[in-house]
Amino acid sequence: MTYARRAWIIFHKDLLVERRSKEQTNALLFFCLLLLFLFQFALGPDRDRLTAALPGLLWLGFILAGLLGLGRSFLAERENDCWEGLRLTPGDKSAIYLGKLAGNCVLMSAVEVVLVVLFGVFYNVDLWTPAAPLAVVLALGTVGLASVGTLFAAMTTQVRARELLFPVLLLPVQVPVLLATVSATQALLLGQPLGDVAHWLKLLAGADAVYLTIGLLTFEFVLEG
Amino acid sequence: MPANWGYVIAAYGIAAVALFGYWRRLARRARALTARPRVAAKTRAA
Amino acid sequence: MTRALGWLAALGLLAGLAVGFGYAPREAVQGNVQRIMYLHVPSVLTAYLAFGLVLIGGIAYLATRRPGWDRLAGSAAEIGVLFTGITIVSGSIWGKPTWGTYWTWDARLTSTAVLFCVYVGYLLLRSLIDDPEARGRYAAVVGILGAVNIPIVHFSVKWWRALHQPSTILGPEPSPIDPAIGLALFVNWVAFTLLFAYFLSRRMEIARLEEQT
Repeated sequence: MTYARRAWIIFHKDLLVERRSKEQTNALLFFCLLLLFLFQFALGPDRDRLTAALPGLLWLGFILAGLLGLGRSFLAERENDCWEGLRLTPGDKSAIYLGKLAGNCVLMSAVEVVLVVLFGVFYNVDLWTPAAPLAVVLALGTVGLASVGTLFAAMTTQVRARELLFPVLLLPVQVPVLLATVSATQALLLGQPLGDVAHWLKLLAGADAVYLTIGLLTFEFVLEG
Repeated sequence: MPANWGYVIAAYGIAAVALFGYWRRLARRARALTARPRVAAKTRAA
Repeated sequence: MTRALGWLAALGLLAGLAVGFGYAPREAVQGNVQRIMYLHVPSVLTAYLAFGLVLIGGIAYLATRRPGWDRLAGSAAEIGVLFTGITIVSGSIWGKPTWGTYWTWDARLTSTAVLFCVYVGYLLLRSLIDDPEARGRYAAVVGILGAVNIPIVHFSVKWWRALHQPSTILGPEPSPIDPAIGLALFVNWVAFTLLFAYFLSRRMEIARLEEQT
């Protein structure tokens, strides 16, 4: 069985399970709706303040949803005693990491699309015009968040106080991703072309490459025990 | 330019307290471990 | 050996204080507050040394599985967090008379604060795992990611600051470094490094004793 096939099987399994039960996706999407209210009430009726804070709020929403969604990446395996099964998979374990990562990226992308649409509609902001460059930033940010999130999720699944430990470990590592994506998003929403934020995109791409590499190299050590 | 010694003393003072405090903590743990190894290790995992 | 280190460190610290307050001149622009630098800069350098050892210890543990490497990593992290805390507090106190505020989100302070959070998380992870083998593995992974992330954080914060505050002269260093100030910095840096080595030696011994029982 090839490496790619093993990764695909994990990815496909997760998608299938989610498509049938929809429990996680529904809850997360509803969470996004609630975030909308949260931000509106927190920033008050001042429309300008809300619009000014929009890039930050958008990514805050992604990260909050990510903390919830990513932290549970391996919960199904753990609860159903499949952890051993994962451990005993022959060959390179990083295939499992890739498969899980792909699934998480799909999940996060769905959340992001929903958030962007909700923001556009409820906060009356034009997110359609910069949609294409925004998608680039979203994609890079998603990989950054999910690559580390998947690795740490595997780790914390086995640890006490995992719901607390996962955000505590993930958030400091995500600081560069957050800074870069919010800055880039802000520029894009002001109508600037993608070229203007090239340095942020390069930082994101570089960070993503680093996180992915470390994830691929160290996943087997996480899976060992 | 005012003397501002207060700030200097505050900074050095806090550092001194922190470093000294850590040194004492190390000494206390080492003592507990060498005196009664079994009990001490159970009360404080790494 | 440890004992000798301890005495050397104590001597070094005294020498550092002497040079910092006795020999080094009062700085022209900032006045006496600048002397906090003799505490602040060696602290952050020591912290970087510590976290470098966490990285090395983690990689070495994953490669060899010898518990000594993990003891190194865990001990270095603990001391590194201590020195990072001292860095942040001393930098903050220095900032008040210099910039008028205890905290500012400038590149260096922010990066240091993020560094602090990363390794506090590292220590938290270690405290939650009882099995030494699993603890060593997981800590190593987090340690590697944390260390590799440092330059990424540094650049991202630097660019972010440049974007939001184009020209503010926040440079803490005097531009041409007076050799006396340089000497004071050097002596204090050596002293802190000795102190770090002493702490590390003791902390690792404690870790070894704990694992024996």
